[in-house]
Amino acid sequence: MKHFVVFFALILLSACNAKAQDRFLDIQQVTSPGGIEGWLVQDDTLPIIALQYVFLDSGTTLDPEAKQGLVRMLSNTMDEGAGELDSTAFQKALADHSITLRFSASRDGFGGRLKTLTRHKDKAFDLLKIALTAPRFDTEPVDRMRNANMTRIRSSLADPDWIAARILNDRMYSGHPYAMNSGGTLTTLPAITPDDLRDFYTQYLTQDRLVVVAAGDISAGEFQMLLDTLFGHLPAQGPEDIVPGADVSNPGTIALYQKDIPQTVIQIALPAFGRDHPDYYALQVLNYIFGGAGFGSRLMETAREKEGLTYGIFSSISDNRKIDLMRIGTSTKNESVMRMLEIIRAEMQKLQTEPVPEDELNNAKSYLTGSLSLSLTSTDKIASVLMGLRTQDLPADYLDHYADKINAVSAADIQRVARDILIPEKMTVTLVGTPQLPEGLDNLVTITDIPNAE
Amino acid sequence: MIFCHSLYRQFYLAFALMLFFALPAQAQTFGAQSASLENGMQVVVIPNPRVPVVTHMVWYRVGASDEAPGASGMAHYFEHLMFKGTQKIAPGEMSKTVRRLGGNDNAFTGQDFTAYFQSIAKEHLPKLMEMEADRMANLAPPPEHFASEKNVVLEERRQRTENDPRNLFTEQMRSALFINHPYGTPVIGWMSEIKTYEWEDVKKFYDAWYAPNNAILIVSGDVTMEEVLPLAQKHYGPLSPKTLQERARTEIAPAIGKTHMVLQHPVIRQPAFQRIYVMPSHRMNKQDALALDVLTEAMSGGSTTRLYQSLVVNQKKATSVSMSYNSTALDYGTLWITATPAQDVTLEELENLIDAEIEKVLTEGMNEAEVKDAIQRLQDDAVFARDSVSGPAMIFGHALTTGSTIEDVENWPQDIAAVTLEQVNAAAKTYLDPQAPYLRPPVTGHLLPEVQE
Repeated sequence: MKHFVVFFALILLSACNAKAQDRFLDIQQVTSPGGIEGWLVQDDTLPIIALQYVFLDSGTTLDPEAKQGLVRMLSNTMDEGAGELDSTAFQKALADHSITLRFSASRDGFGGRLKTLTRHKDKAFDLLKIALTAPRFDTEPVDRMRNANMTRIRSSLADPDWIAARILNDRMYSGHPYAMNSGGTLTTLPAITPDDLRDFYTQYLTQDRLVVVAAGDISAGEFQMLLDTLFGHLPAQGPEDIVPGADVSNPGTIALYQKDIPQTVIQIALPAFGRDHPDYYALQVLNYIFGGAGFGSRLMETAREKEGLTYGIFSSISDNRKIDLMRIGTSTKNESVMRMLEIIRAEMQKLQTEPVPEDELNNAKSYLTGSLSLSLTSTDKIASVLMGLRTQDLPADYLDHYADKINAVSAADIQRVARDILIPEKMTVTLVGTPQLPEGLDNLVTITDIPNAE
Repeated sequence: MIFCHSLYRQFYLAFALMLFFALPAQAQTFGAQSASLENGMQVVVIPNPRVPVVTHMVWYRVGASDEAPGASGMAHYFEHLMFKGTQKIAPGEMSKTVRRLGGNDNAFTGQDFTAYFQSIAKEHLPKLMEMEADRMANLAPPPEHFASEKNVVLEERRQRTENDPRNLFTEQMRSALFINHPYGTPVIGWMSEIKTYEWEDVKKFYDAWYAPNNAILIVSGDVTMEEVLPLAQKHYGPLSPKTLQERARTEIAPAIGKTHMVLQHPVIRQPAFQRIYVMPSHRMNKQDALALDVLTEAMSGGSTTRLYQSLVVNQKKATSVSMSYNSTALDYGTLWITATPAQDVTLEELENLIDAEIEKVLTEGMNEAEVKDAIQRLQDDAVFARDSVSGPAMIFGHALTTGSTIEDVENWPQDIAAVTLEQVNAAAKTYLDPQAPYLRPPVTGHLLPEVQE
């Protein structure tokens, strides 16, 4: 059965537009006998099954400051031995069946993904089950993963983008747990023990925090029963989420880390808002016009196409669970850093003062609504779309109404949001390089040590 | 130039359809079909009806290695200029049109090819073809864009290469390996040379290489050859073929001495080992290339294979190690070995241990299970590769511009399955023996902090 494609009208009448469709994505919502909810898009075109799962509010934000990297290390070691299988035996079982089983840690959650060929699904589910039920945290793989992380950090110390990200994180999230380095530091990683990993695993991988989705060659009935098999044994409830919300810190400052390289990396944060805000869709359209589009965005047009100052400049919305923000990133030769900052400020001001022309607005809407199907071109991508809906608490028919929400945004809405968000004075700026700056910049802060690295 | 010979179109179309062939069903991994237009443009369709989207790509059989000496980076700079408008379309307008229609577009340049692509809802395919065909023949960037785009490319080189000494070092290792061969010159070009060429030089490059008979159209997604071919005929069919020059390539010069490069740099905190070998490409020696695919997968295809198990898990002398082989090249392939040492392990010690692993393969050979498991993983990879719209188009484009055929790609899983332990061991001896190097000894690099800890 092919539940997935719902664009039949389009296929038959290629001149028609997308309004002919009924449902954008045929999402099945199932609940296991044990009460675990799962969303599924079934599609047997290929013999591939993808599963994604996340434990919300169980992310790296919960790392103790002296053990930064703890949750990342958990993600590195949950697939390094479980039950009767030691690290090598477990990895061998995955490799021999071409199963991808990975855990991952973000600031906001601990999760993972499983991808398997249908013919190896029983083995894949079994391995995921023992990884979730009986992870071993043997000393050998824990040490090995720690060393790999420390190597990664030492290597990254040569990478100006990584340095800029460390500094911007430290400054824009100052005073909030988000400011820590999710990947750990050279000092904190050695402090993490197998018992720390075990404790976190026991406390935070609980059913009340769990979100599961699947896509591909699996039936709703099988998925429904699988939910209990994989996750039914986990504790029902974990500790309350106590991480506070916050706003972007250090607005109006420019942090400079001097590095002898020909091009300065520029990373900027601005306070923004999340999906619960009535102007959320206007913010999406604004971001696209400002810098989200890549080619054709205002920042790209001015900084790259007109002035040849950079290979790329982008803005994006970071819709985190605790701090929402807009980010702007680019790089330019040291001589043109001030000009680049001027361009960014000027484009912000222009969006505040002048309404976006009708055709530019329509083009933005047309991309945002018309490109949705590009996010569904593989089993993994479909699972990711489902995960995005669920982690943001969106209804299963959200995508069916997305175009209406975007199309309702007016030039006045965009200007209002620009006045709220695109405020040059609120930028938290990080520069890494040897930029030519004028004397006496009073908001300049010189950074000499890379925060949360050593 | 576009000719509006509408009367001939039906004829062209009929002729093109006659050339349309499909492979026998049992041999298909991707189910690709191929046809040719009268003007010599190859058309490849990879049907994938899951979602009503397509990836549309045009690959040109020209890349950085076809540049004249002293003009490094021109193929890539030219690729940038392809977005700067034609007689019909303003600079940047093609990308904007693609966005407006809900699609994404970009392009890339390699040593042997240059490719332009868009992904979009399938009903917009004709518009893409119209614009792509237009810029194949009628590119006309306004002069004020030449200098600013040159600056963009210089910023690109700073961002990709100049800003990180590790990337400069890798570039220089390739350069040291490929003596007297264009693969030693980076695709993006040398900083000093990028600055030298002007539009007149670039225009000559365009006139020489951009022609339908030097291009491959690849459409992957929710389409069939029956749908694509008439569209291709309509938009690309009227373009005139050109007389193409031969892609004259040099051979690498013999190097009898070992090449050992060291970079000590203040920003380096993590020592690293890297080595690059020259190898046969798939085109040069298909059978050996397949054996090398299996060998590298067996040596380094994940944490359960030989190199990682020995150096990282058992001996604890490295924190990472990998061996990777690239056979997709018109001329030579390459094989990289990279590793990072554990704390207090010197690069000399690590290098000796890596050499010992290679020596072990040469004297004792791989074992049957390692090879069998590697083959199974590679075959399964081919199933996962179908789970994408743009991915298969990429695979075919790389293959077809580097001397492989559609059959080579479609039959790859079966060909891999036929590789034997003996062939794998023979390939190791032919290509990895330090006493009898293939063409020349590899180039070995050590990246070190300024003062070794």
